[in-house]
Amino acid sequence: MSVSEERSWTAAVRERAVGALPPDKLLPDKQPSYVASWIYVFGVLSLSSLAVIILSGTILALKGPGWWHFTGIGHFFNSIHLWSVELFFFVMVIHLWGKYFMAAWRGGRKAVWITGSITFLVAIPCALTGYVSQQNFDAQWISTQAKDAMNAAGIGSFFNLLNFGQMYSYHILLLPAAVVAIVIGHILLVRKHGVVPPFKVPAATSQASRDGAGPEAEESAS
Amino acid sequence: MAAIFNLNHHPSYVHWHFFQLSVSNLVVIVLMIVVFIAAILIPFPSRRATGGRS
Repeated sequence: MSVSEERSWTAAVRERAVGALPPDKLLPDKQPSYVASWIYVFGVLSLSSLAVIILSGTILALKGPGWWHFTGIGHFFNSIHLWSVELFFFVMVIHLWGKYFMAAWRGGRKAVWITGSITFLVAIPCALTGYVSQQNFDAQWISTQAKDAMNAAGIGSFFNLLNFGQMYSYHILLLPAAVVAIVIGHILLVRKHGVVPPFKVPAATSQASRDGAGPEAEESAS
Repeated sequence: MAAIFNLNHHPSYVHWHFFQLSVSNLVVIVLMIVVFIAAILIPFPSRRATGGRS
């Protein structure tokens, strides 16, 4: 059998992927000097929280409600799952504020901003379906109240909050898969376009500019 | 948390005209604003600051 000289779709995808994200861009070992600020750590804190959420949620799904309600170690992982979600939203909102005031959509980064916003919006029902998946009176109360909102919005036939199986599937599969997929896309776009630089400061008021070492002129190890 | 705080009472709310917010949510929002401002103002430890790079 001879080796075909024709281009295959796998080669085309590879070339396009490597062209958009060469290895040194995909896994950089340096970042611009302006990234050396606490406000830039909230993105990676959001990712860390998400990793703890997925890990603790996987353990809860494996063990089941009898374990997370009636054993000490089950309570522990239940609490880890809850508080990692609280932390996820806490740091994600600060990340959002930081990027909003940096106007992080500048320099062709529109898709980065949009994917971040969609992640936030999808993460909200992902968390809310967790409230109705607890298998306790809290979940029962919340689902019977929230179903009225769904019905008032005309989407009660699609999202039946009294259907535990549907809500649990949304919570542990569909919505987390969507969040993780969009987050992966968001990170790849950040890698492709780079971290948004700060606004340029007028030269007359910038000590760094007077010294000839503006924020974009210097690079430091990340 | 219940071991630290007594949660066995009606929730407290801040009510101002049409605006109503639980005190617990208000505390979280204030904390986020404090952390946001601190993240901007507190200098990030750099290699140059520790003498590792000049």
